[in-house]
Amino acid sequence: MSAAATHHDQAHDHADEHGHAHVPTYLETLRANRLGLWLFCISEVFLFVALIVVRFALWGNTRPELDQALGLATTSVLLISSYFMVRAEVAIAHGDRDKFLNSLLVTFVLGVLFLVGVVGFEWGLFGITFGDHELLKPTDGAFGAVFFGMTGIHALHVVSGLFLILMVYINGRRGGYSTERHWGVEACAIYWHYVDVVWVFFYPILYLIGTPVH
Amino acid sequence: MEEKKSQAYQLIFTIFLVLAFLTLVEYLVSQYLDSMILLLLIAFLKAGLIVNYFMHVYRLWREESH
Repeated sequence: MSAAATHHDQAHDHADEHGHAHVPTYLETLRANRLGLWLFCISEVFLFVALIVVRFALWGNTRPELDQALGLATTSVLLISSYFMVRAEVAIAHGDRDKFLNSLLVTFVLGVLFLVGVVGFEWGLFGITFGDHELLKPTDGAFGAVFFGMTGIHALHVVSGLFLILMVYINGRRGGYSTERHWGVEACAIYWHYVDVVWVFFYPILYLIGTPVH
Repeated sequence: MEEKKSQAYQLIFTIFLVLAFLTLVEYLVSQYLDSMILLLLIAFLKAGLIVNYFMHVYRLWREESH
């Protein structure tokens, strides 16, 4: 059977008794989109759980000495950004366009601040240290490999989230979302909160659990 | 409508405050109790709150628009 014939049969399967193809409603598309995004999130769980397993296998009940103030600060910044993200979603759902755009902008800035905290300060890109502890390097054995692996993969997700926020902001400024139809905003919010949920586990696992080794 | 909107903002702010409080608690737990189980429990609680109230996971099995 040719590909064209198969395609024709599939199209026929979706047609009603009058031969009209079924056009999915907005709600049907929305539900399919939601399911797809959640399945994507679940598939990513395997990656992050694998990283967590590696951390416990290699570090055991120890951890490198990291800057606790910086860890708490970056965690707080990401949490506040998550609040502003959900605030943006509530705003667009209730027609508060200005609040929606402002909240998105704050989320973006806080996301950049989080990256500066982790990549700039914790990774030592700026060469600035707080307190008297030495910065961890990727070559510092299991501590360095796991820490840079976990924070690096997470930072990559933060960067992609920032791109999404920027796209939603630009679309929002052009009037691309309404009270009734704003899947783009909802999807971006789900992804950003997902990045936050991952950090909710990474923060205690990297910074708090275990005895610090000098 | 206005009341519903105000309730929605109030709810997310309350959840944010609870999450901030739990973050502080987990920091203090690590400093004074050093209990891995407690820290993981707090992490799961925080994740549950975010998944339910911020990510609206329940929309998956409800005939609900935005």
